[in-house]
Amino acid sequence: MKIDRRFLLRGTCQGALAVMGLPFLDCFLDSKGESLAATGRPLPTRFNTFFFGCGLTQQLWIPKTGGKDYEMTPQLKPLEPYRAKLNVFSGLRVPLDDNPNIQHWSGAAAAATGISPTKPNEFGSKTIDRQIADVISHGARFKSISASAAGDPKQSYSSLGGANTLPAEASPLSLYTRLFGPGFQDPTKGDWKPDPQALIQQSVLSAVADNRKRVMQNLGTADRARMDQYFTSVREAELQVAAQLQRPEIQAEVAIPAAPAEMVCNNSLPNLRNVTPLMARLGALALATDQTRVFNLSISEPTSSMFVPGDSLGYHQSTHEEPIDPVLGYQPQVAQYNLDSMELFAMLLKELDTVPEGDGTVLDHSLVFAFSESGNARVHDANGLPIFLAGGASGRMKAGYHVAGDSSPVSRVGLTIHRAMGVSLDVWGKGSMEIRQPYTDLLA
Amino acid sequence: MGRMRNLAISFLFLTVLAPSAMAGDIPSARSDASSEVVSMRQLTQAEYRNSIADIFGSEVEVRGFLQPTIRIGGLLAAGTSVLSVTPVGFDFFTKLADSIATQVTGAKYRVKLPCAPKAPKEPDDACTAQVLSHYGRLLYRRPLTQDEITSAVNLSSGLAKSQNDFYAGLRFGLASLLQAPEFLFRMENAVPVGNKQFALDSYSRATRLSYLMWDSTPDAELLQAAERGDLNTAAGLEKQVDRLMSSPRLDVGMRAFFNDMLELDNFDTVSKDSILYPKWNSGIAASAKEETLRTVIDLALHTNGDMRDLMTTRKTFLNRSLAADYQLPFQFTGEWTPYEFAPDSGRSGVLTQASMLAMFSHPGRSSPTKRGVAVMDILLCEPTPTPPANVDFSVVNDTSGPLKTVRERLTAHATNSACASCHHHSDPIGLSLEGFDTIGQRRTTENGEPVDLSATIKGRHFVGAAGLGQFLHDDPKYTACLARKVYAYSRGVNSDDVPASAFKAGYQAFADSGFRMRSLLESIVLDNDYFSAPPPSPEATSSAPNVPAQ
Repeated sequence: MKIDRRFLLRGTCQGALAVMGLPFLDCFLDSKGESLAATGRPLPTRFNTFFFGCGLTQQLWIPKTGGKDYEMTPQLKPLEPYRAKLNVFSGLRVPLDDNPNIQHWSGAAAAATGISPTKPNEFGSKTIDRQIADVISHGARFKSISASAAGDPKQSYSSLGGANTLPAEASPLSLYTRLFGPGFQDPTKGDWKPDPQALIQQSVLSAVADNRKRVMQNLGTADRARMDQYFTSVREAELQVAAQLQRPEIQAEVAIPAAPAEMVCNNSLPNLRNVTPLMARLGALALATDQTRVFNLSISEPTSSMFVPGDSLGYHQSTHEEPIDPVLGYQPQVAQYNLDSMELFAMLLKELDTVPEGDGTVLDHSLVFAFSESGNARVHDANGLPIFLAGGASGRMKAGYHVAGDSSPVSRVGLTIHRAMGVSLDVWGKGSMEIRQPYTDLLA
Repeated sequence: MGRMRNLAISFLFLTVLAPSAMAGDIPSARSDASSEVVSMRQLTQAEYRNSIADIFGSEVEVRGFLQPTIRIGGLLAAGTSVLSVTPVGFDFFTKLADSIATQVTGAKYRVKLPCAPKAPKEPDDACTAQVLSHYGRLLYRRPLTQDEITSAVNLSSGLAKSQNDFYAGLRFGLASLLQAPEFLFRMENAVPVGNKQFALDSYSRATRLSYLMWDSTPDAELLQAAERGDLNTAAGLEKQVDRLMSSPRLDVGMRAFFNDMLELDNFDTVSKDSILYPKWNSGIAASAKEETLRTVIDLALHTNGDMRDLMTTRKTFLNRSLAADYQLPFQFTGEWTPYEFAPDSGRSGVLTQASMLAMFSHPGRSSPTKRGVAVMDILLCEPTPTPPANVDFSVVNDTSGPLKTVRERLTAHATNSACASCHHHSDPIGLSLEGFDTIGQRRTTENGEPVDLSATIKGRHFVGAAGLGQFLHDDPKYTACLARKVYAYSRGVNSDDVPASAFKAGYQAFADSGFRMRSLLESIVLDNDYFSAPPPSPEATSSAPNVPAQ
């Protein structure tokens, strides 16, 4: 009764063909009928990103001194509670080599890939969250999850390279549904069982994947790469289903809340203040329950459309059009939006730090990479863009430092992230951003 | 035993599928080394929904979203030729596939299936093959190959057995087709047509025509025409084009085109400042988009009008929400009513509708630059380069200073030579529309100063939106741009890369007819070269998405 090679490979359970009607739930229970015992493996270290558009105001955010005892600055004030778990990077360069300065884009793409982009809204390679996910996500249900607090699926800085951006969940409800809706088996409950549907789904995906060779025939080069990506996505779905068949090992004591209500998600600051902590909370729960190990949150596009009702310009337009106050020496409305961005970032850190697990919190077992695209948005300068790394990466990252402008390319942070995440990588970035030397002092 | 089953199934297909499989040119072409897929376009959200509705009936619900695409050369249609399916995108597809397959194999729908199983709790490969080849042909827009059917039937059969339920098995077989790349991508297959020439095979022709005209999958008659090879002959092609174009469903296809060309999809995420413009709400937003589509379709198809009039007409369609936005008394019954703005209303054409005015503005104020850049890009096919990097814009904004109006501030800004070259093109267009605020309401003053609506483009002076409308009406670049975009849209290519020669015949017919949309469409698709394809080459290009400045 051989049906198909892959069907057989994927659809088996302890050597027996699942479709034969074997009570396959037995495969996942030990001899006493309990779920397979935890192996006592250490908690996985998670990687998260936070994107905020239009940068910050240099004289208001960069601490005067480097090292651990820097004086808190006005725009970093919202991050004060997490100071001991935070590294601040200033003065990083974004060398573009022969590429144009793609306004409000080059900096973001460089931070996320270490590569100066050639086209707007495209990345020179897979973004760092996906690179890290390739290494750490095996066994988690979702390889990565992205959410846009402003309610726009296109506001995602997670990409497979080129224009292939992974769309973001655009409301707390859709984020919730993806994470904790159909297909979710709550590992915080004692009666966890694998979903029988998952095995069937595996067979379907396997049948789809089996067509690969036939479909790839007669395709031109570009379409072949696109079709290859399709099948890579099928493979990721297969892994996702496989992960659903195993009870995640979790140490956090959390409960999955009821689904959030529909809410207005747009660029208006009051709405962002409601949506951001909710999405951050859902992300933190997803990490704690091992639904994903990579969570990306954005609050805007690089040309941030964030606005306070009553301000006819909004954030991005203000950066270009608001006059510099002659007394203050900066753009006051822009500075306010900068501060608002840091408050929203603090909301993510708060949610991650509120969930206890093991010997610390989810934040302690995470690395959070926060970045923007501009060092000086007013004149479209990417150099000096604000970069933060938060969380202890399960003890592999030292924190509490201001790494003051040493003119390193921004990719040095990316290489440091790889090392902190346990990825052995010698070189990261391309062209003038090719870097071999991470911030070794920060690595524990 | 497995061999025997395969054998049995193969035999079965010969009986079930013989008529279509033998007559069609596809099953053989697929395995033909000389054929090549020359274009692979991912279905848009609307194309997906329309296709499902046409294949399974509108009672089958499509719950969920697809991944967004990107705009290239002003068209999402071109973006669908470049993007692939990301893991998140595949997740959407796989969930939709299962939801649709569940509904189709559910108790309510079963009676519509082409056959019923011999026993409901057991596999019935003959019936499964019949159902899957029927729907598979509609989903893939060509008959399935024997391999394809065998694979789906085997899946169904195995699962029907393990679940003790014929329909449970069928559900998953069907779901596998619904998430297959052959459904999710419109694959255009080119075959040799002699003398080193290549052209689309007949099923690919049917698909291209159908999605252009109806924004949906080929219907039974078009598939039959493809099967008979009719679309490879001038007479057969003409007959089908005529049929597609005389159907009211042409409205759906052209709505999809204008929705793409006018970038109305962006309108879904337009938000306005609730303190400055408390009147703006989602009802107005949805209505404004609909108003524009109704206006365009009425002119282009229902009245067979001159497409240049789209720039000047004061005729529109209103509902109650829009009447409030336009500050008009709404005394009509019914949801949508034709309306003609008064001659002194300052309105002129689609550019003065709330949709376009609001879309190309900031949340709290109008933006002559955004509006000007949009007109250049969308209507004249002249994309504006991104502004130079190191520009200080702050003078443009100081409303508390001596420069009260946007015009004064922009003029000051455009004295900077680096900025001037582009602003000289886009600003006059946008400034002539300054008689309308960010939600499309008319105004005569801004910050207490009267608004000056005069503009000069290429030595031609005009005033206000009516002047702009007339200028565009008379500019052959506008009509040429429309022809270019229809051509690029139907081919899924970057409009910037299309040589004028490609749509020359179409444009000529368009002009000769007095710029009637139907003439343009018809002559583009009936052009001798419309279905020709480049010979197979390893190189393929992807283009940069077009990102509007600021």
